[in-house]
Amino acid sequence: MKHIDEFSRSEEYISPFDRHFRRLLRKTIEESIMPFRRGYDEDWKDHHLIEPAFDRIMVGLGLQKGLFPIEHGGMGLANSDYFFRAGYMVCEELGRADTGFAVALGVTYWPLLVISVDPYVNKRLIAEFAPMFCDTNKAVFAANAMTEPQGGSDIENLGLLGGKTIRTTARLDGDEWVINGHKLWPTNSGGVSKLFGVPCTTKPGSNDPKDFAFIYVPADLPGVTQGGAYEKAGMAADKNGDIWFEDVRVPAWYRAHGPGRDAEAFYQLIPFGQVMSCAFLTGAMMNLYERLYEFVSTRTYNNRPLKENDAVAGIIGRIAGDIDICRILGYESAMIGDRRNKPYGKPLISEDVVGRIRNIKDFVSDRAVDCFGKAMDVLGLYGADRDWDIEKHWRDIKIVQLWMGGKQLCQMEAARYFFNCETL
Amino acid sequence: MGRNLDNLFVYPKQLMDEESMSVVRLVRQWSDKEIVTRRMEYREDYEKLFTLKRKMLCIDLGLQKLTIPADLGGFGWNSPLKAPALLALACETGRADASIGILSAASWALFLMIACQHNHNDKLCDSLAARYSDETVRTPALILTGPGRTGMQTPLFFGRSILACAEKSETGFTLNGEDLRPLIAGGMADFFCVVCADGNGKPGIALVSGDAKGVKRGPSILMTGLNACGNAQIDFNHVPVPVENVLDQDRNIEELYSWLNLLLGGVSVGAAMNFFELLADWSDNRTIKGGVMLKENPLCASVLADVAEEIALARLLLGDLAAIVAEQTESRPETIRRTFTYAGMIGHRVQQGVMHAMNRGLELMGSAGYAKEWHVEKHWRDVKTIQSILYGVAAEAPLKMDTARFFYNCTEI
Repeated sequence: MKHIDEFSRSEEYISPFDRHFRRLLRKTIEESIMPFRRGYDEDWKDHHLIEPAFDRIMVGLGLQKGLFPIEHGGMGLANSDYFFRAGYMVCEELGRADTGFAVALGVTYWPLLVISVDPYVNKRLIAEFAPMFCDTNKAVFAANAMTEPQGGSDIENLGLLGGKTIRTTARLDGDEWVINGHKLWPTNSGGVSKLFGVPCTTKPGSNDPKDFAFIYVPADLPGVTQGGAYEKAGMAADKNGDIWFEDVRVPAWYRAHGPGRDAEAFYQLIPFGQVMSCAFLTGAMMNLYERLYEFVSTRTYNNRPLKENDAVAGIIGRIAGDIDICRILGYESAMIGDRRNKPYGKPLISEDVVGRIRNIKDFVSDRAVDCFGKAMDVLGLYGADRDWDIEKHWRDIKIVQLWMGGKQLCQMEAARYFFNCETL
Repeated sequence: MGRNLDNLFVYPKQLMDEESMSVVRLVRQWSDKEIVTRRMEYREDYEKLFTLKRKMLCIDLGLQKLTIPADLGGFGWNSPLKAPALLALACETGRADASIGILSAASWALFLMIACQHNHNDKLCDSLAARYSDETVRTPALILTGPGRTGMQTPLFFGRSILACAEKSETGFTLNGEDLRPLIAGGMADFFCVVCADGNGKPGIALVSGDAKGVKRGPSILMTGLNACGNAQIDFNHVPVPVENVLDQDRNIEELYSWLNLLLGGVSVGAAMNFFELLADWSDNRTIKGGVMLKENPLCASVLADVAEEIALARLLLGDLAAIVAEQTESRPETIRRTFTYAGMIGHRVQQGVMHAMNRGLELMGSAGYAKEWHVEKHWRDVKTIQSILYGVAAEAPLKMDTARFFYNCTEI
């Protein structure tokens, strides 16, 4: 094999966006992220190093406009036939450099997806928020303020719980929603976001999807307070913190779609988030291959290059094989998303799509965690070195495995689908 | 907290005498009082408190002198018979902080290599003991074997490259080597324990003072874990080494690896036991699915069980290894080789098991797993670092070759 692009994926799945944009994106990433990424950990609080790279990628290449329709100055990806695959390509390329960076960009799409992707489109809200992202020369972030202190991953388990554990309330007062609650851990919190998508309940304790409301809240409104960023094991480019909403008032039409449809549209985030997680992982794994290739070619065991020793070849062969298989699966998951409107496809919110995609993400995460751990051991004395980049990915990709309900929720969703479990 | 770890993670105590047990209890008290119950404070002022707490352990409690012979002013634990007690201490220090644990373990291993009765090096013991007997915390750095570089033919220790060379000179030996990588602490070491080869490629070990002429330290290296053990690449440029500071027997290297597999295994298991405590505390009051206790959910309980099982089995395996090491009171090559092989096998299993436990635990803890605030992520990073550096190169491949050689008499691998 000559190049990382030769890791397998179905040629039929490659989108026009991929063909034209990947090379430019990769070049920009190699200039603006890769040379600096080893300093990102120490930049977790201030983002002095990280911010200019965001400007170049999100504004310079226009990626923060990706979802918005062309008439609003966007790229119109949300209503293309290849929205998931385009997203996969972007997230894979970014993941190759830095998965924290990738998730910050990917999550900016997340709340906007609720109003942008057929059949859940809200043109008025799109028009309202488009200028925030399309008419600026600074990187602008959005966040889904989902997780609550008491709820853990309950919000990602909407299929089972129907939102009954949500404590953030939305009360209609005239033509305004009044929002109160406390959220924590969203990607792009910690003072970064300009816009929050906030899952709320209009009737605390209810598991009726009609009482679930997804409401947009600009971050600069009175009553919105953001805490500082948490210090984490990795992913310094993604800031996370607490957000408090105290009698925050937004126009009534800032609710995404209305009773019932909010929950459906919101649930689309699960497959999207899981597919993009696969992309972060396969991107990072492709970089693992590049760095490992260099090490096993230039370092020896028994005075022969590591890669020429049968026992070592057995280990690194498995790693490369896993990367190949994971990439095939990752693109398949993206294609499942892009088939959503086809006669032979399934809606994003169907148990079929959620179960299959969760399953793929769980599998790819497990393989990634194993491959990075094993690669660090192959590097031995050098495995823990920042300079070899693999350890940074190892810290970062563990986080990808854990988020969105983590491994156990993936297992449950898969079991529910494949075995028709009725009580889990 | 407040769980009785020794009741939960049982290990054979029959080889531990009352003196050993009391020292272990003392170190447990230090660990609990000074670090384990003050995690937040310790994390926020890590650099300062690490130095302070380590000094308390090494100097105030005297553990720095643990393996120094009694007639040289030490505790006199310079015997393989003390292996079970040393293992218990490695666990206790690792439970507090793996960096303190590994620095202590390196010191103990060093003296065990040169001061055990069957292996005693009088002159070297005297000079090292003198160095260890003042009120300064001493830090050794171990430069062992590792990867070679393509295009270079290096002397080998069972396939692993030896990159330092000790050649005979008029006054003793001259040590040379470039870009050498210590396991830890290259930037802060008082002295170096270096696996080297003579002009004929015969492996040995040289002990070199950190301030010797010709020792050059590179810039500090950023690493995944063990962040208090400031590491750096080392160059030796014609460094003079006294004759008594060179151990020229293969068995010395094998014994050093055996001790390191035992004690670093102990450090990792200790870290894992504290990981368990933190996970157990966390799971005591977490709910899922809108109110079900997390630990009462069968899937989550099975993950929690995995964590405990791996740690418990790792501790038991190390107890067995300590018993094997304790029997090694003579220098018969076949006994040393057997211990070396078992130490490699068990050390590998232990590190793997502990990493598996931590990876499983993190899966359950989610964001609490990777937030620095909860501290489990530090244990996870520290143990992964120990695992990788202990392999040296090529993951478990060299260990598998050692095992195959021992059990099947392979001669070409």
